[in-house]
This record gives sequence, structure tokens and C-alpha cells, in this order.
Amino acid sequence: MLAICAAIVAFVVVTAVDGGGSGGGHRQADAGTPFAAYYARAPHVLSSKAVYSLPTTPRLPSYPELVSSRFEAPIAQYRAYAAAQLGALEQQLPVLRAALEANDRASAQAAWRSAYTTYLRLGAVYLVGPVAALNQQIDGTAGGLEGGVSNPRFSGLHRIEYGLWSGAAPRSLLDTERRLEAAVRRLHGLVPHVTILPLEYATRAHEILEDAQRDLLSGADVPWSGEGPLATYAGLEATEEVIATLKPLLVGDEGVLRSVKAELALLRSRMDAIAAAHGGRLPANAALTQAQAEQLDGALGGALEALSEVPGRLEVEIPPHVTPIPSGDVRIDP
Amino acid sequence: MSDQDRPERGTDRRTFLTRSAAVLGAGALGGGAAIVRENADAQGTGASGEPSSGEEWAVSQAQLAQGESFDGYHQAGILTPRPAQATFAALDSVAPDRVTLQVALAALSNRARELAIGGPIPEVMTGPPPALLEPDAPPLDSGILGPVNEPDGLTVTISFGASLFDGRYGLAARRPRELVRMPTFPVDDLDPSQSHGDLLLQICAHQRDTVTHTLRELLRTVRGALQLRWMVDGFSGAARGPTPHSSNRNLFAFRDGTANPPTDDAKLMDRLVWAGPGEPAWAAGGTYQVVRVIRMHVEFWDRVGLAEQQNMIGRTRSSGAPLGGTEEFEDPRYDLDPRGKRIPLTAHIRLANPRTAATEDQRILRRGFNFARGFDAAGALDQGLIFVAFNQSPSRQFRTVQDRLLEEPMNDYITPVGGGYFFAPPGCRGEGDTVGSGLFAPAA
Repeated sequence: MLAICAAIVAFVVVTAVDGGGSGGGHRQADAGTPFAAYYARAPHVLSSKAVYSLPTTPRLPSYPELVSSRFEAPIAQYRAYAAAQLGALEQQLPVLRAALEANDRASAQAAWRSAYTTYLRLGAVYLVGPVAALNQQIDGTAGGLEGGVSNPRFSGLHRIEYGLWSGAAPRSLLDTERRLEAAVRRLHGLVPHVTILPLEYATRAHEILEDAQRDLLSGADVPWSGEGPLATYAGLEATEEVIATLKPLLVGDEGVLRSVKAELALLRSRMDAIAAAHGGRLPANAALTQAQAEQLDGALGGALEALSEVPGRLEVEIPPHVTPIPSGDVRIDP
Repeated sequence: MSDQDRPERGTDRRTFLTRSAAVLGAGALGGGAAIVRENADAQGTGASGEPSSGEEWAVSQAQLAQGESFDGYHQAGILTPRPAQATFAALDSVAPDRVTLQVALAALSNRARELAIGGPIPEVMTGPPPALLEPDAPPLDSGILGPVNEPDGLTVTISFGASLFDGRYGLAARRPRELVRMPTFPVDDLDPSQSHGDLLLQICAHQRDTVTHTLRELLRTVRGALQLRWMVDGFSGAARGPTPHSSNRNLFAFRDGTANPPTDDAKLMDRLVWAGPGEPAWAAGGTYQVVRVIRMHVEFWDRVGLAEQQNMIGRTRSSGAPLGGTEEFEDPRYDLDPRGKRIPLTAHIRLANPRTAATEDQRILRRGFNFARGFDAAGALDQGLIFVAFNQSPSRQFRTVQDRLLEEPMNDYITPVGGGYFFAPPGCRGEGDTVGSGLFAPAA
């Protein structure tokens, strides 16, 4: 990223010198480009000129295209990891059920936290078909449903969160919990066989934490418990796992790997320090001090910037050049 | 670059900037209305930040003096070109009875008309002071714009939500046929405290202080009858060209509004915008207004490759041309690309307006604004689009388009958080008339 910025800066300087030295000759050089009229009007805007003057045909990436078969091992590793998380979740849910049966809110909330973070450790189940439908039953929110929380289709972990943090009798959530257990079992059965495409998997490397920033740390998906930091930590663990599986594919690109690992490590150490300051457990969003929130948000932002380089480095095909509209067929709207 | 590499005349970027500014200052601009502020830093002289140019003053004065008529067959602020600033304020009626509501609506129209015309505020009016005004009474105008309210292109558009037509005021029989509470779409995460409402005020002007003043004055006139439910401030991207027709950009950096139907085509507006057959008689000349407050996750968007961004939209980011084209207003020629090899079948522009004979009457008139209002609990910017669509029939138009858009990959980067369905009644016939007077007129 820094290299690109440096290149643009260098370009600006060179252009400035050329343009200035030849007494505005740069304007003639631009005649015929769509911006010719613009430069004549505002020749002082050099930075825009430099950016617009970058070559329009994309340069091919300097790193080699990967063959998709190289994703087989990482994806298989991830499937095993995901199945293990779901196995762990199946062990945890009876604890939640027992707490609900006992009408013990505090224990039920603790069991919910464990179950929710275990599920999030799967990392962004945004797949199509039956897996997506099961994810909706397990982790769906009230947001997209007509009537919100009162919609009967609102179920799963967030329905239980809503009940436990808004005063419902824990026992009244037992039916929801039973349906949740059934959905988790079905997902556990599906995950070993689900198809994950290389592109989806490469994207997952940064989208797990993108979702965490958008939906979890923001509080949007956990409005009742406010457990955004805890949920973000689970996303961090999932990301670390995905990056670990992708490491062999990023060999030869140590710069990206190094910055990703450094940023993830920083995020982890900041979150550990925040947890330590709160008696060993990550606090709810509202309990973060201003300084802690800034440290956490900053580290997450830094990690996301580093991770955004990953999918591009894992392309299995070079994006095709956009074919122009045949010139004889160009029509301008009235 | 070392000093030795420097060309003889010593032009580095700094002196180049200075010279450009000087050239422009000397009037090399031609007839354009552009305003050039001399680069005080590069110049090393001059009072920085002061409007130094007479030209700048003239442009701002011309804008302040521009008036839009409040009255007309249609309300202003619908076909009116979109100015720089806006506020959308949804109100709920707390009026205890029908007459109080009727009086409040009349006050709203009267005050909006006064502000759109502009003029001296009461304390500086010549002639005897208004009879009711005690010398020590609070001034009739907050006065934040000075002794004269200049119109500044102000439009106030008043529209009604479905909830106004419930049982409270005996208006149920007058409800426009398609006015319902905005449905929740699967991509939504609607915050009830940012959604729906009995009334919507859309206030637009060139300057922010004009909009701020107008809302303050209007709320004052309806105190106790209409109460704020939610509001959001908007702005449009500046007209940055390259041509006067180029559409402005939204906060995803793409041009927005390119395929809008032309508002000067009255026949087309009759088919796409203004209330059609089957509506109650009082609604003729009105239109349905759909407002959606759409959060755009801009940090996430900025971490996506340009090719992917362009494929999601279907346009080239810099020019706004459809992919494969060179001009913003070029036809994307889906007929030549039936399988979506050039413009993906799920690209925003393709789903929003497939440009077929069958979808021709589904087009909507968009008049949206950007918003930027701080940041969320994760430190991410709370920015996005106040999507505004005027259309004849939400079920045939907005809803159909929105249902198609549920498939678009761009949905990952946006979250609709608020808004509502409203009906903007016809405009006023003139002084003494009120927006919404048809609600209370005796049945014909």
C-alpha cells in the first residue's frame, strides 16, 4: 500500500516539473482525453491529474495466479476446524438448557456467552442454500423481519439473548433452545460436506472481522447483551485459524503475511489487556472506557487494513479485461 | 529529487501552484462561475480563509436571492433540482383532535410559504409592529439568518405517513390507495426510532443555515401539535463535472442518479411520478415519497478492490460510464450482454433498471442526499445515503425494484436503518391554502 502511495507521489512530482518546465505543455498532452477541458479550467489540480493519468489498462499482478487445487488442503483443514467447533457447541448447549430449566438467569447468560462465542468461532457462515438457512435459524437477527422481535421467525441464539437480557423468564426460552440444538446438529452434519469455493475462502480471511466490526463491535447484532468485544474476540480466533490454513499459499508474499500476523497479534494483545483490566473477562461495549474503546477500534481497523490485502493475493484467476461496448453500438441516453 | 535534477527555471510543485493561482486570478477562467481562492500558503501572503474574491461574493448572493415558489399544482422539492443541503424530519401528531391538526397543518404551510418567499423579519419591518407583539415579547423569528430571511432556493415538502390515516382524526377514508407503513425488507435493520412517522418535512436549500433556520421556525409554529420522531441531515456532492450534466457522487464514490427520468418531460412525469387513477380525488397532483436511510459501511467498501466495486455497481468509478463504455449517459446495452459478461447480472444498475419494455414503467425519480453523522460504537463512520424516491405507485415501482435488489452483492456493504413510506399531497393553490387541505374538505 505504501509503495502505491509513493508511486503516486512520485508521479505527481514528475508531472509538476514537466508541466511547469515547458510552460503548461501538459495541457496539450492531454488534449483528447475526457479531462482536457477540465485541466484547462483548473490546471492547478495536479493530484487529480496524476491519478486520472494512471494507465487505464490494469497492470497484471506481479504475483503468480494460484491453481485452485491448492485451496483443497486449507479448506479441508477449515472444515475439520468448523466441525470441531460445532461439536463443542453441542456439548455446551445442554449447559444452557439446564440453566434455563432451573430458571437461573445468571448461569443462563454465562452459558449463552460460551455458546455464542463458540458459534462465532466458526467464522462468518454466509453461504448459500441449506447452510445459510440453518445459520439464519441459529444466528439470525430480528432486523430483517417484519415486526422485529415479535416475528415468530425470530429464533436461535439472538432470540435467547433478547429473552435473557430483557427480563423474560429463562424457562420460557426452552422451546427456542431445543430448536437451536436441533439446528446445530443439522449444521454439524452438513459442514463436512459443504462446498466452499477458493474465492469464498480467500474472502473469508478478511470478511470475518469485517462482519465483526460492522455487526458485533458496533453492537448492531448484540443489542441486548452488548457483548460486542467478546464476539469480536471469537471472530479474531476464527480469522487466526483461517490465516493459519492459508499460510502455505501466502509463502512468497511474506510482506502481507508478516503485517497480517503482526496486526492480529496486536489486536489479541490489546483485547487480552482489556480483559485483564476487567477481571479476566471482556466487558460489554458500554463498559469499555474511552481509551479502551479507541485502542480496540484502532487495532481492529489496523488488522482489517492488513487483511484486505489477502484476497487479492489469493486470486485463482486474473480478472478478465472488460470488453468495450462495440463502437458502432454506442447510444447516448436522451 | 535532488537539487541538481531541478530544471533551470526552478519550477517545483510549490511555485507551479503559485503561478497557476495567479493565472486564474487574472481571469483566465473565461465565463465560468468557478471561484478560485488564492493559495495563501503557496503565495506566502494574503489573509488565508477570507473570501477574497468579489466573484465569490456575487455567486453566494445570487444563490441566497434565488426563490422557489412554495405554491403550485405540485409541491416544490420534487422536480426541483437538488440543492446542496437538506434535512428530513419525521413528525408524529400529538394533536388532541382533528381541528388542532388542521390548524397545525395550516400554520406549517403558511410559515413555509413565508420563508420560501423571504423578506425582512418582523422586528425590522417598516410600518406599525404587529398588534399582538408586546415590546418585551420573544421575537417572532429566531433571527439566526439576520434581519432579512433570504429564500436561498428553499423548498419545504410536506408529506403524510400511513399512521396519520388511522382512527385518531377520522381520516381513514381519505388514505391514498397505496399508502402503507413501509415494509421491512430482508436486508433491513430498521431502528423504530428512525422509521415511519405521521408526517415528513423535507427541507432543502443551498446553505446549511437556511435549512437549520427553517426547521427551527416550522417546529415553533406547530409546538404541542406535531412532535419530532426522527430526523437526519443530508448534503449532496458538489457538481464537480467534468460537464454540467455529470451526476454527483455518493459516498461509495459512484455517480448517483445517472438513469433518472428527465423531469422536464411532463408526460413521463404523469406516468411515473404523479398520482394516477384510482386515488382519492384530493390526491391528484401528489406523489408517493419513499425515504430510506441507508448506512453505508464505507471503511469496508474502501477495502474492496476497484474491479469488484465496479462490478457491484456496473459502472466505471471515475467516469460513471457503464462498464465497457466511455460516457456517463451511455446506454449500457444489456441487449448485447445477455449473460452478464461485461456487466454482471447482479450489478446494481442492471437490477435497479433492466431497461426493458416490461420494466419501463417501474422507473422511479430519485432525489437522494448523502449523510455523515459521527461514528458508531466500533469507531466506524456513520455515513450513507438518504435514499429518496418519488413514484406513482410504490407497489409497481419502488417495491418491485427493491425486491430485485435483494440479490445484489452490494447489500453486504449497506444496512437500511430507517425511513418510511409517505404521500406528498398536491401543492397549494396560493395564499390561504394548505398542503393537505383536501384531507378536510367536505366530500365532493
